[in-house]
Amino acid sequence: MKKKLLSVLLCAAMVATMAAGCGSKEEPAAAPAPETKEDTQEPAADAGEEKTDEATGSLHFEIVSKGFQHQYWQAVLKGAEQKAAELGVTMEFVGPNSESDIADQVQMLNNAVNKKPAAIGLAALDTKSALDGIQAAMDAGIPIVGFDSGVPEAPEGAVYANCATDNYAAGELAAEKTYEAIKDRIANASGTVRIGVLSQDATGESLISRGLGFIDKIAELIVADGKTVTVVGNQKFVDDSKCEKTDGADVEIEVLVPASVDSALSATDCQTLLNKADTIAIYGSNQHSAEAMVTGDENLGKFGTGEDNVIAVGFDSGAVIKAAVKDGTFLGAITQAPVAMGEAVIQTLYDIANGKTVSDIDTGCQWYTAENMDDPEIAQNLYD
Amino acid sequence: MADNQKKGNAFTNNPIVKAVGTQKIVVVLVLIILLAFFSAASSAFRQYSTILSIMDYTYYLAFLGIGVTFCLITGGVDLSIGTGLVCYGLIGGYLITYNKMPVIVGILVTLLVGVLMGAINGIIVSMGGLPPFLATLCTMMIARGLGSLATGGLSVNWPPTAAENGWARMLFKIEVGGVKLPIGFIWVLLFAIIMSIVLNKTKPGRYIIAIGSNKEATRLSGVNVVKYQTLAYIFSGFFTGLAAIAYANTFQALAPGTGAGMELNAIGGAIIGGTSMSGGMGSIAGTILGVFIMSVLQTGLPNIGLQANYQQIIIGMVLILAVLVDVLKNKKLT
Repeated sequence: MKKKLLSVLLCAAMVATMAAGCGSKEEPAAAPAPETKEDTQEPAADAGEEKTDEATGSLHFEIVSKGFQHQYWQAVLKGAEQKAAELGVTMEFVGPNSESDIADQVQMLNNAVNKKPAAIGLAALDTKSALDGIQAAMDAGIPIVGFDSGVPEAPEGAVYANCATDNYAAGELAAEKTYEAIKDRIANASGTVRIGVLSQDATGESLISRGLGFIDKIAELIVADGKTVTVVGNQKFVDDSKCEKTDGADVEIEVLVPASVDSALSATDCQTLLNKADTIAIYGSNQHSAEAMVTGDENLGKFGTGEDNVIAVGFDSGAVIKAAVKDGTFLGAITQAPVAMGEAVIQTLYDIANGKTVSDIDTGCQWYTAENMDDPEIAQNLYD
Repeated sequence: MADNQKKGNAFTNNPIVKAVGTQKIVVVLVLIILLAFFSAASSAFRQYSTILSIMDYTYYLAFLGIGVTFCLITGGVDLSIGTGLVCYGLIGGYLITYNKMPVIVGILVTLLVGVLMGAINGIIVSMGGLPPFLATLCTMMIARGLGSLATGGLSVNWPPTAAENGWARMLFKIEVGGVKLPIGFIWVLLFAIIMSIVLNKTKPGRYIIAIGSNKEATRLSGVNVVKYQTLAYIFSGFFTGLAAIAYANTFQALAPGTGAGMELNAIGGAIIGGTSMSGGMGSIAGTILGVFIMSVLQTGLPNIGLQANYQQIIIGMVLILAVLVDVLKNKKLT
């Protein structure tokens, strides 16, 4: 009796939990990470079949992304799906649960190689960890196309092309726009002023480039106007920035990186910067950091474009950031072109499979503000 | 030793100290010292917005802490509350943001999923006889995966205050005449008082304490141990749901695959507050005080210029200290 009750209870609980989970799962067309597990069980015979498919033009590609934690990736997926449908090819688009799950992504790459697709699209979380998988792909003669942050430092010959945002250039663009807004304040400042940089982590190549691009460019602009500048905070950024560190500089660039991806920690970092009386601007280098800036500022209300406000510059979009740009809390933000990137990846993979020579594609980035965010050219790259 | 314990000293024999408990007084003193230290060390800390920031942290940690205190008192633990918070918040938030359901539905679903997961934890532990540490370690992983599965790996934002359906955020923070008020603390106090009464003045609460002191003796005296042990985990699940609502409405963004580590801040808060890792002893008031220490540290350490890695090390050391006190206390009792 008791056992029966137990099993009934357990079943009811499980069904209810699943229903709650699945009921909400109408929209995402993405293949969630767990599904890839099933795929690995496909018999190897499939691979031979796919190879013969090549002749008939029905190509299959494996795309290993960084997961769907940020809505940005949904837009990449959308672009890839559109292009795949247009070209009549099939693809499997996978990614780990979170951008910290490097080991999971390595596993996904290995699975992708085992499936012997015509080519693989890869946005590596960490190239060094993925080296074995990349080597296996090379040995099996499967071409790799890098996207998003690409596959930096990959072995010679493995990566045929990259379809990526030049993240360093995107960081530089953010720095130029930020500097326009704070130029006079730096020139007229009596003491040290501070520019904050929030980065979700100091391991992913794209975030490092976006951070360094910003730091190097803004330091260059400040020095060009005859002021001195230094970088403090996270050691990785301090060590790798080109900016020469000087004591008692006119401008201090402070880089904060949370111990883990947690909105609460990043919001606190933002508040810490806002609490410092000499902070004049803060830059958040992805959706996570920029959103944490919005919530972090709620308690203090210091962001804005006025004389006494702290200038806020974000990256990527999403409802929260778009609203902050629209109402003037943020000066503006940088957006990449995720849809175009997704399309470019599939096109490049397709070209390779058809024996064409391919080259790197910079999918570009744009600066958007309250004024221009409704322009069709920009609006297509902004997502909720 | 036992003799010494009975006699005590002038401090422990003081009627007020006896009524409140030595540990709680020590925790309050430590809290005051911490606040004084951070205020002295950083001018940025000495302002009104710091109170708001401390409160932002306190809401979800306090709810997690209240729930897990019940598990700790039974001699168990619930490690699934960190990833559980993110999982339940993702499911509830997904219904609101992507399926355009009313916020109240999202809130109720968040709580319901919490209660169900709590019940599953409780059943595995009480009927299945799995060690709580192991059982909840497994559900911690299940919750992590379930959260990603439910949203297809998407991160979810609960509605912002300005949005039409942003009322839930006003449960925690409202603006009156340009001043922001941390009214979420009212909820924390309310639930703390209710659960304190449940723990100390009702039958289920007393049984939960009894299970933690001596499970076998409690069973032999005719108490349905399975039922009350399960109840402790259901409380934990429900409060994790509440914590998810508090977190989602203070920090807005929830990302799949995160949440691991939050449970340790909450469990740490409970232990600092005098709840014993070995069960049979604990109080909700102590947990709330302990959680305050955690949130003051989380808010204060960045303000004195310590980088993220140092913050973790310091919080880890504080926890070792708290557990050490707990171990020494238990030694004294035996």
